[in-house]
Formats: sequence, C-alpha cells, structure tokens
Amino acid sequence: MSSQNLTYQDLLQIVEWIKSSAQFGEFHLKMGDIELHLRRHSPPAPAVLEVRPPLAPPSPSPTRLQQPRSQTEDTSLHREGLNGRMTTPPDAARGVSSVYPEHTVLITSPMVGTFYRAPEPGAPPFVEVGQRVEPDTTVCIIEVMKLMHSMPARHRGVVTHILVEDAAPVEYGQALLVLDPHVDAASPEQTAGALEPR
Amino acid sequence: MTGKSLRRVLIANRGEIAVRIIRACRELGLETVQVYAEPDRQSLPVRLADRAICIGPARAAESYLNATAILSAALTQGADAIHPGYGFLSEQPAFARQCELAGITFIGPAAQVIEQMGDKAAARRLAAAAGMSITPGSEGIVTSHEAAAAVARDLGYPVLLKAAAGGGGRGMRVVRKARQLAAQFARAAGEAEAAFGSSALYVEKYLTAIRHVEIQVLSDGDTVLHLGERDCSVQRRHQKLLEESPAPGLSAALRARLGAAAVQLCRHVGYTNAGTVEYILDEETRQFYFMEMNTRLQVEHPVTELVTGIDIVKAQILIAQGQPLGIRQEDIVWRGHAIECRINAEDPERGFLPRPGRVERFHSPGGPGIRVDSHLCSGDVIPPYYDSLLAKMIAWGRDREEALARMQRALSEMEVTGVHTTIPFHLRLLCDRRFREGRVHTRFVEDVLLEGL
Repeated sequence: MSSQNLTYQDLLQIVEWIKSSAQFGEFHLKMGDIELHLRRHSPPAPAVLEVRPPLAPPSPSPTRLQQPRSQTEDTSLHREGLNGRMTTPPDAARGVSSVYPEHTVLITSPMVGTFYRAPEPGAPPFVEVGQRVEPDTTVCIIEVMKLMHSMPARHRGVVTHILVEDAAPVEYGQALLVLDPHVDAASPEQTAGALEPR
Repeated sequence: MTGKSLRRVLIANRGEIAVRIIRACRELGLETVQVYAEPDRQSLPVRLADRAICIGPARAAESYLNATAILSAALTQGADAIHPGYGFLSEQPAFARQCELAGITFIGPAAQVIEQMGDKAAARRLAAAAGMSITPGSEGIVTSHEAAAAVARDLGYPVLLKAAAGGGGRGMRVVRKARQLAAQFARAAGEAEAAFGSSALYVEKYLTAIRHVEIQVLSDGDTVLHLGERDCSVQRRHQKLLEESPAPGLSAALRARLGAAAVQLCRHVGYTNAGTVEYILDEETRQFYFMEMNTRLQVEHPVTELVTGIDIVKAQILIAQGQPLGIRQEDIVWRGHAIECRINAEDPERGFLPRPGRVERFHSPGGPGIRVDSHLCSGDVIPPYYDSLLAKMIAWGRDREEALARMQRALSEMEVTGVHTTIPFHLRLLCDRRFREGRVHTRFVEDVLLEGL
C-alpha cells in the first residue's frame, strides 16, 4: 500500500480499529507523505486523529485520493474533494491546519449555502487579508434559502487567507478563511486560550 | 401540467438507488448533482455524478434528512429537479412542498397526495371510497369484550385484537376461539394502556397464510397504467428479502383485478408519477385487501422493469417534465419471470444482525439474464449509519425455473469478502422445495425456513 492508495476509507477503518481496541494508547503510522498519529485521551474522550500531509497550498487540481488536512475528534476526516472540491469539517476551526502553518485556524462553513464577503452588494467586505479580528467579528455571511447567517471569527487573530470568492457556493465543512492567531502574539490582549476548543 | 425541460437533477439519496438515478439521468442527457454526507465522500455515486456537494456529517438527520441543506445545495448548484429515491425525504410532504416553493421540481407525486397516503387511516378510507376492500374489522374502536365478541362473530375466528394507538406488536393478541376472547381482551387492553397510555382496541380479521403482493403504477396525471404485480412475501420482520414478478400461481384474472383496483385508487386521489399499491392476498379465499400505498420508487422496482421492459426511473423523470406516458395499458406486455435478491450486510446466522465493516473484495456477477444494481466497490467501508443494502441481484428468465437457475448461478459467482451478507440465506431459500413450488407466505421465512435452525 503506497500513500497514493491510502484512502479516506482506509483511515476511517484504522480509526475504527483503534477506537474499538483497548490495547492501543497510541498509534503512529508513516506512509510516504502521510503521517497518521492517533492518541487515546483519558476516557471518555475518543481517539484523536492527527494527520499531517506535506506542507502545500490547497490545489484546485482534481485529485482522487487526498490527505486529510487537520485534526478532529471523530472519524470525520477531511480532504480536498473529488474535482478539487475542498472540504473541511467545522471541527477543524478549532484544530490545527497542516496545509497552513500549524498554529493557524481554519474557519469552515457549517452549512451548504452561498458565501458572501460583504453585507450587501457593493458594500465593503467584512474583512480583508491582514485585518485583525476578534472572536465576535463577523467575517462573512452564508446564505441558505434566503436566510443570512453571519459567521463570527470565533477566534482572535489576523486574516491570512480568504479562500472563497464572493457569492460562490460552498459546501458543508468547506474552509472559508484562515486566521493566524500568533501574528500579534506580543500584544497584551492576546490570550493563551485563543486556540482552545470553545 | 405543461412540458418543462429539466437540465440538472439533484439526487437526494445515497447508495445503490443514487447510482440507479444517475444512470437514468445520464441516459436522458441530464446533468447530475450528488449530495453526500461525510462518510460517503468516496462513494460510487459521488464519483459518478457530474457534481457532488457535501451537505453534512454522518448523521442522516443532519445530512440526507436535512431538507434545508439539500434545497440549499440544489439552489447553489443550479439544479432544477430533485429525485428523492426511496426512504429519507421521499415520502415527506413538507419536503415536496418546500421544493415547490423553491421552484424546484420534486420528482414524485404532489405533496398533498403524499400526505393523504402517508396517513394510514386516511389512506384506508380513500381506498374504501375508491371501491377497494380493506382488511375486514371493526369500524372503529371497541370498548368491551362483548362488543369485540359481536364483531368477531361477524368476521369469523381467528381475529386479531390491536391497540388503536399501537405499533410494534404490543397490545396485539390473536384470538382463535370465542371462549378465549374475554381473557385476551383484558390482556391486550392492559398492554395497550401500559405501552401507549390508551386501552382502545380494534378488532381485525386475522389472516394466516397471506401473501404480500403489490402493483406498480405509473401515472402522467392523465393516463394511469399498472405494470403488473410483485410478490414480496419472502420477508422477515416486515423486511423484504426477495421479490418476484409475476407472483407464482396468480391468475391473469386476479392480476387484472388487482391492477384495475390500483388504477382506480390512483384516479380517485389524482395520483401522478410512479407509485406502488400494496395488498394482502388471502390465498384461500382469493380475496385481496388494500394495505397501503407507497408514493415513491420502490427498492424492488427492477423486477418490474425486467418483465415489462419499461424503465421506471426514466419514466418518473419524464413524467416530472410533464411528458405524457405515450403508451396505453394494452401496450404493456409481461415477458418471462424476474426475481430480485437483496444482498444486505447482515449475518443470517446471527439473526440478520447488521454487520458494518470493510468490504475487501467485491465481484459482481454477470452473464445472461443477470442485472446487479449496486454502489459497492472493493475496499469500501460500510458505514453503520444507514441501511445495510449492498446490492440488488436481479435475474430474468423465460420462466421461473430459468430465472431461479440464473439467480443460483449468479449468487454463487458473487464475491463479497470482509463482511457477512445475506447470500447464504438466499442460496438456502432458493433450494427450498416449498419456495420452488411457490408455496410461500409472509410468515414463511420466520415460521418455516428459519424454524429449527
């Protein structure tokens, strides 16, 4: 088995095995570019999955089998979808991105809808790359069936990437923005808890 | 309904039926959008569709049953129609209504008809109004064992006492003789009170050795056709395992009566698109009773497709586009015999326990008269969140004997390793003399075939 055919299903299966076994406290797998690290927390926490593919920007090229890009607490791994559909479940927002620097935070779409960068057509965008945001700063709107859902950043940091075009359709779990919480680590209001799970 | 041409169909389902719908769309030159929950990301329908969009996590309530997410996906992907398949949102009138409001064609009957037929009591009334027999029983509830005895005398024993509020077999008692009635009535009423907070009972004729026979209908709103019957008597705990058409031993005259009654009901309720009218058939008396109507595509539709040559899924889409059926009842010709075996990820040796897991190898058989509808690929993990159907194997033959021989041959060619399946059960069933003679009823699997194992 090469890393090219280690599929999402394979990973799911591995996680299931580890979860159902009392024998493993820790599991480490390295296959080519993929590194898989599973660690069982003290009960009742389930196994935590960390997968680290090589550092590379997300590519829109169609790829069948992709590597999961960050950590999550359940078996819902994420990867770039078929035909380059990029997806990451919302859990990743509090996890560590491995495509972007490790300490960055991905803000992902909690629902299927349309992504808007500004409150209305022609208005200035909610945020720009380089802008500092607070946890309650609105970063975008997801429109679902004519209902507008404002999305707060939920973390303190600086916007480093905006991954989706204005008015583009987004799917569940798709990464929308990247925040770097450490850019202004020197500033007094920066708290150690910024990256902690909510 | 005026003709509206569809361009892009969203498939609001998963598994084999999603693949089936994508195939129909492809043949009609329509684009497809496959929605999926996270565990299905690598699944065959996701890979086959022109577009795919993740709508939520594994839990069906947050994905395949999430009407808002599905409609949002349809709108953002520019789909102009939604095919719901079976299960999930296929029989939810609210979803059909939401599609309509969003300007998306729901491939199925009108929301109001789904609603009427989904209410079992209302459906029974409509069927009776359309001139159909419904299972004989008390008009409403009976409040005393004396009243129950009066009804039972008219019906003839054995009778069934059923909790009006019930389900799942609780508060249900079979009474075989008049002298048992008073005691059984008290017990059933007590059980009903404890389980459902109401001791209301009704009395129904208890039918033994009944068969489950259903009629496939197609309606464009103007022309209503029936495509003959399927015998679905081989079931376990109301889960169908094998279906066939024609029903063994069913006379042409009885088929015509079943079909005409189904057509009559569809006309009565203004039914459009594909549907199935389910009957209880009493072998002894040749009587049939309306059971329920399924306002959607059925799992076992391929059986009918093979004997009639009509592609039911394509017909559904064309009807939704407002196209007339273009054929008449007398154009429908039944040829040969077709059987479907459901290959589930269940262990027949352990009470048909669903056994999710990883399929190491899947080899689908072929050859003359064999059709396999499946989404399965070697290496797939069967997720534990959804139903256990892996594949439907359908065999066609010039007669039942040939269809059975082909099915046996194909089942022994089929390879599924890594998970338990119902293949061994089917192989045993197909060898059973009583089954081969067509002597089955809805209790056959549990009371006869699996008895004494």
